[in-house]
Amino acid sequence: MIEFDDVSVTYRGGVKALRNVSLTIDDGEFVVVVGLSGAGKSTLLRALNGLVPATSGSILVNGTEVVGAKGAELRRVRSGIGMIFQTFNLATRTTVMNNVLMGRLSRVPTWRSTFGLWPADDREAAFEALERVGIVDKAYVRASDLSGGQQQRVGIARALAQEPSVMLADEPVAALDPVTSHQVMGDLQRINRELGITTLINLHFLDLARAYGKRLIGLREGELVFDGDIADVDDDTFREIYGRAITPDDLLTVDPSGGHGGV
Amino acid sequence: MSDTAIEAPATVSARPRKPRMRLTTALAALGVVAFTIRAARESGWEWTSFITVWTNPLWQRFWPIDWDFVLDRNNVLEPLIETFQIAVVATVIGCVIAMPIGFLMSQLTSPNRPTFFVVRSVMNVIRAIPDLLLAVILVAAVSIGAFGGAIALTVFSTAVLVKLFSETIDSADPRPLEAALAAGGRHTAAVRAGVLPEVFPAYVAYSAYVFELNVRASVVIGLVGGGGIGRVIEAQRQFFRYDRILGILIIIFVIVAVIEQISDAIRRRVL
Repeated sequence: MIEFDDVSVTYRGGVKALRNVSLTIDDGEFVVVVGLSGAGKSTLLRALNGLVPATSGSILVNGTEVVGAKGAELRRVRSGIGMIFQTFNLATRTTVMNNVLMGRLSRVPTWRSTFGLWPADDREAAFEALERVGIVDKAYVRASDLSGGQQQRVGIARALAQEPSVMLADEPVAALDPVTSHQVMGDLQRINRELGITTLINLHFLDLARAYGKRLIGLREGELVFDGDIADVDDDTFREIYGRAITPDDLLTVDPSGGHGGV
Repeated sequence: MSDTAIEAPATVSARPRKPRMRLTTALAALGVVAFTIRAARESGWEWTSFITVWTNPLWQRFWPIDWDFVLDRNNVLEPLIETFQIAVVATVIGCVIAMPIGFLMSQLTSPNRPTFFVVRSVMNVIRAIPDLLLAVILVAAVSIGAFGGAIALTVFSTAVLVKLFSETIDSADPRPLEAALAAGGRHTAAVRAGVLPEVFPAYVAYSAYVFELNVRASVVIGLVGGGGIGRVIEAQRQFFRYDRILGILIIIFVIVAVIEQISDAIRRRVL
C-alpha cells in the first residue's frame, strides 16, 4: 500500500512542484496520473522512490517511510519499486542483458556486479524478465541497436528484474510512435494484471489514459485536483484538470485497430 | 523583364552600419603587440640569427650518419626496447590507477563533494609539477635507470588520463545512472553499471593517446637519467657525436609515427 500524507516538494530556487498532496493507493491498483507538463506528475513519482526528496509530509510504501530515508534503508525501499522512464535511460553502449541486470544491483555485492560475476539466480531472473516482455532473443545485443519500442521493453524488463511490488512509469510512451505506444501500454497493463504489481503511470495523452487506466489522478500546479474512477471521467473533467479546452495535441488519436479514436 | 520586377516593401528599414571594433578589443591587441616587442628586445631577439645559426660548424657534425653505430644491436636496439618497456609499464599502470580516480574527480560520479574537492586539488598539484622535474627528482630518489623513469612516467600518465577521463564522465548521460540508483543500487555499483559502459570507449581512446605521449616522453626522461634510448642520446651528445644522434632520431621518428598510426586507428574504432 502507498500512502501520501500532506506531501509537498519545493525545489531549490523555490518552485513548488507538489502542494499538500494526500492519497492512498491499494495493492495491485493501476493508476494513471494526468496533468499539464509542470503540473508535478514526474515529481509525484520521483518523490515515491526518493529520487526527489519530499520537503514535508510523509510517504509510506508498504509501511516504510520514504521521506528522510537514507543509505541502506532508502536502497531497500527503492529495490521494491521499479521505474520506467520516458527516455528509457538505458546504458546504450552495453548489452540488453547488462541493462536488465541493473535491476538486480540491490541484491548482489558490489564486487560481484563490478566484475560482472552475476550469480546464476540473478541471470535467470533477468532472462525471465526479458521473456515476459518478449525480447529475450535480444539479450546480447547492444542496447543502442534496438528500436525505441524495444528499448522501452528493456526498460520494463529492468524494472521487472527487481521483482518489485510497485511499478512507476514516467511518460513511458512519450518518445514512441502510436502503435508502439499501445504495445507498451498493453505490456504494462498485462504485467499489472498477471503479477499484481501496483502501477502508477504518468501520461499526457488523454485517450491513452482512458483506454488503459482504471483510476485517474489529476494534478494541476502541484495540487491534487481529481481522484476517481476513470469511468466517471468526461471531457469536462479533463478540462478542469488542464485548466483549458482539450486540443488534438492531448490525444494520441490512433487506436490499435488503426482507426481514429477520440476521448 | 521590367525594372519593377522586384518591388520595394512599403517600409524600408535602414541597413545597419558595420559595427566598429570595440575599444577594449583594440586596446588588448595593442597591449599584446607592445608587450611582445618589449619582451623580444629584452630577451635579445635577433632576426639575423635565423641565418647565422646555419653557419655554425656544429651542423657539419650531423653528417654522414654513423649507421654502423646506430644499427648495432647493443647500442640502439636494446635501449630502444627499454624505452618501449618503460612506456608500456607506465601507461598500463597509470591507466589502471586513473580509472577509479577519474570517477572520484567527476561531479557526476563522485560519492560526495568533499571527496571531489580533495581529489581534484591533489591532482591539480600533481599536474602542476613539470614532468621533467618530477623525473629528475624521482630518478634521484629511486635510482638512476629505467625504474625511476618508469615511476615518473606513471605519475605523469595518471595525471593526464584522470583529467581527460573525468571531463568525459562530466559530460556523460546521467540518466542510466539515475535508473541504476532508482533500482536500489549502491553508488559504486550504480556508477559501474550506468556510467562506465558509456565512457569506456573514450577511456580506451585516451589510454592509446597517453601511450603515444609516453613513448615520446620516455625518450626525454632518459636524458635526465631515466634509462632507455634517452641515456644513449645524452652520452653521445656529450661527445658531440651528432652523426649518431641523427641516426637515432630517424629511427625514433619512424617508431613514433607507427605508434601514432596505431593509436589513431584505435581511437577511430572505439569512438
